[in-house]
Amino acid sequence: MDFLKKTFLTLCCVFVFSLWTLAQGADEQTLLHPPPDSWPGYHGDYSGKRHSALTQIAPGNVKNLSLAWAFQTNQTSLIKSSPLLVDGILYFTVPENIWAVDARSGHQIWHYVHPRSSGEHIGHRGVAMYKGYLYFLSPDAHLISLNAKDGSVRWNVQVADVTKGYWTSMAPLVVGRHVLVGVSGDFDNLTGYIRSIDPETGATQWQWNSTPPAGTPNQTTGGMTWMTGTYDPELNLVYWGTGNPTPVLNGTTRPGDNLYTCSIVALNPDTGKLAWAFQVSPHDTHDWDAVETPVLVDGDFHGEPKKMLMQSSRNGYFFVLDRTNGTSLLTAPYGPVNWTLGIDKEGRPIPNPAKEPAPDGRLIAPDEGGMTNYRSPSFDPKNGLFIVDAHPSWSIYFAKPADGVYGWAGADYGVWGKGIIEAIDYQTGKIRWSHEVGPGGSGAGVLTTDSGLTFTGDASGNFLALDSSDGKTLWHAGSGASIVSSPTSYELDGRQYVLMSSGGVLFAWALPE
Amino acid sequence: MFRRQFLCGMAALLLVAVFAAAQTTSHNTQSSVNTKQRKSRESENYPATLVQQGAALFRQDCSFCHGRDAAGGESGPDLTRSKLVAADVNGNKIAPVIRNGRPDNKMPAFDRTDQQIASLVAFIHTQQKAAQAQGGRRGNGGRKGVDPEDLRTGNAEAGKKYFHGAGGCAACHSPTGDLAGIASRFKGLELEEQMLYPRHAKSKVVVTLASGQEISGTLAYLDEFVIGLTNSEGVYQSWRIRDVRYKLDAPAEAHVDLFSKYTDDDVHNLMAYLQTLK
Repeated sequence: MDFLKKTFLTLCCVFVFSLWTLAQGADEQTLLHPPPDSWPGYHGDYSGKRHSALTQIAPGNVKNLSLAWAFQTNQTSLIKSSPLLVDGILYFTVPENIWAVDARSGHQIWHYVHPRSSGEHIGHRGVAMYKGYLYFLSPDAHLISLNAKDGSVRWNVQVADVTKGYWTSMAPLVVGRHVLVGVSGDFDNLTGYIRSIDPETGATQWQWNSTPPAGTPNQTTGGMTWMTGTYDPELNLVYWGTGNPTPVLNGTTRPGDNLYTCSIVALNPDTGKLAWAFQVSPHDTHDWDAVETPVLVDGDFHGEPKKMLMQSSRNGYFFVLDRTNGTSLLTAPYGPVNWTLGIDKEGRPIPNPAKEPAPDGRLIAPDEGGMTNYRSPSFDPKNGLFIVDAHPSWSIYFAKPADGVYGWAGADYGVWGKGIIEAIDYQTGKIRWSHEVGPGGSGAGVLTTDSGLTFTGDASGNFLALDSSDGKTLWHAGSGASIVSSPTSYELDGRQYVLMSSGGVLFAWALPE
Repeated sequence: MFRRQFLCGMAALLLVAVFAAAQTTSHNTQSSVNTKQRKSRESENYPATLVQQGAALFRQDCSFCHGRDAAGGESGPDLTRSKLVAADVNGNKIAPVIRNGRPDNKMPAFDRTDQQIASLVAFIHTQQKAAQAQGGRRGNGGRKGVDPEDLRTGNAEAGKKYFHGAGGCAACHSPTGDLAGIASRFKGLELEEQMLYPRHAKSKVVVTLASGQEISGTLAYLDEFVIGLTNSEGVYQSWRIRDVRYKLDAPAEAHVDLFSKYTDDDVHNLMAYLQTLK
């Protein structure tokens, strides 16, 4: 009786909750605790772990995984975005385009095309959602709010000046009544910033600058903020990575550490006030943005419960921080690195001046694309593994006085690289297993699931499902194009789907019905 | 998707054919003018509006990798020093690359109209010409080229010693054999890139079937699941990896082992030595 009563109450709650979410879109509760039939933000939940609690697809049955549907954008732009899923509808992007697609069937509900604009069209990482509205950044650095029902534009505000060299490509982060946006712009000496915008009106609430205004003597510019941050609601802190300093390869006009470039920063989302910062690459001269996902994990570190932040950084080091105060718990390389003199007492790599770009070239590991990049890593709590698509690589870096002190200010050329999915033991930095994914490297991100699966892709365009405990391949499917996005997963009508994209096609995989 | 790729491929072929025809006509009417002179005269004649349109499009689609001034960006090559651009006549080389991309180098394909591509071609040629006129000096903000003279800081004697000693290069290479005249075939940065890792080097493979039959050829494809080779007659064959055994002869991989052993001086000395092999 007791059991039946409990079951009945639970079902009632689920029913009421479903109705409520249906009516609410991506409201605060959905964003804080995403139900299994949703993926309401770029990372899914706020933690950036990209770990799904779903278990229907498991190591024992994944070999049966088959195509549920595929959606063709009919564009040559590669899909780099992570689709949002709210109320049964997927929202995803390529530059200047948003699609709303039925998550059950893969058919298009609407397609928004933004007028062709100036600014870089290098990629687009997706939209954000708050209640019934979407937030989309255009290449010419405008934030556009659209009605999720039909893609009609509600408002459009400029967030950066494209004529100065800024552009935007990231998926905004919604925290409370704030839409947080970041900016790109490496080819000019510009200040990077995070801006908080009112979700209803488009008005600016605050702005945090990562570097001083351009032209400040002996100071750096740069510190672009082009990847989506993460959020800890208990500490009420947003975590964000900042990009490289400018001029990029020539550090002579910007002596010192160049705060807050190549840093992980913790900000109060209500005020924009900086709580702490940890610089992963002091005085960078290799274009190693530290914008890779700051993954938030609560767990044991050497026997003590900790609120941690982990980042596999583009500069080749894996960092574990105490996210309450930004102090270092672990710094360890996860592939070949040859640009440091060691690690300082705060856990920061010490750059070797002899490895700064030079007129006759310096051989550097990793290359400019870095040991990893914007593709998402995943944290698997069951195995205690941080799993990342790594890119061991070597390159040559040049800079000479004739190259000047503006923008790129040098030249670098990748020499060699390959892709390896690495499972890092976060307590030691040791690599527990690795899985080669091909010459050149793969652009696929990683998703782990509670059933013990790791979804990713290889350099040849194969989608892969690996066993999270040892990295062995359990399933694969050739996709026919490059994979440059990160997988997501959701459950609808009791069926688990894994979404992956390659080229301009979105694939939904599920077990046969 | 495959149908679309096929159509794109056909479109590109058609385009190449059209350009080839145009080129032939051009040769017939201007047979006394050599290609270089003709090309430079054409690039002078690109209408300013076409170049401006190309510049705007280039900024949107191409500049992240190739730089706003076409002199190189985050990952793509400097087009103002590109051999392909130098050899291009009115888009006959550039257009197919834009339409098909370069999957091996991670360049995506771009679905653009003939007119848009003509504007990009006009812009790229104009930039190359401007760069040549400035003797390699560039405007602000772009990635800058590496000149052959930048790469002459090493000691050739020390490089020779490294080649025959610690570097282990002599195990595979000979200055009077495969590397004879290497400095005439490759110059400057291109020579250094070849030296560090010859990315277009082919690997040989011998595949042993379950029957015991051995098939050898040039490695054409390899992932975790399938191996493909091209045999001596140019025929492609592939197998599931689980069904066969294979032995790879990939001599270029010895270069990878050297990366962690080189000092920067070793690289510069070796480079100085190779530059003597004219």
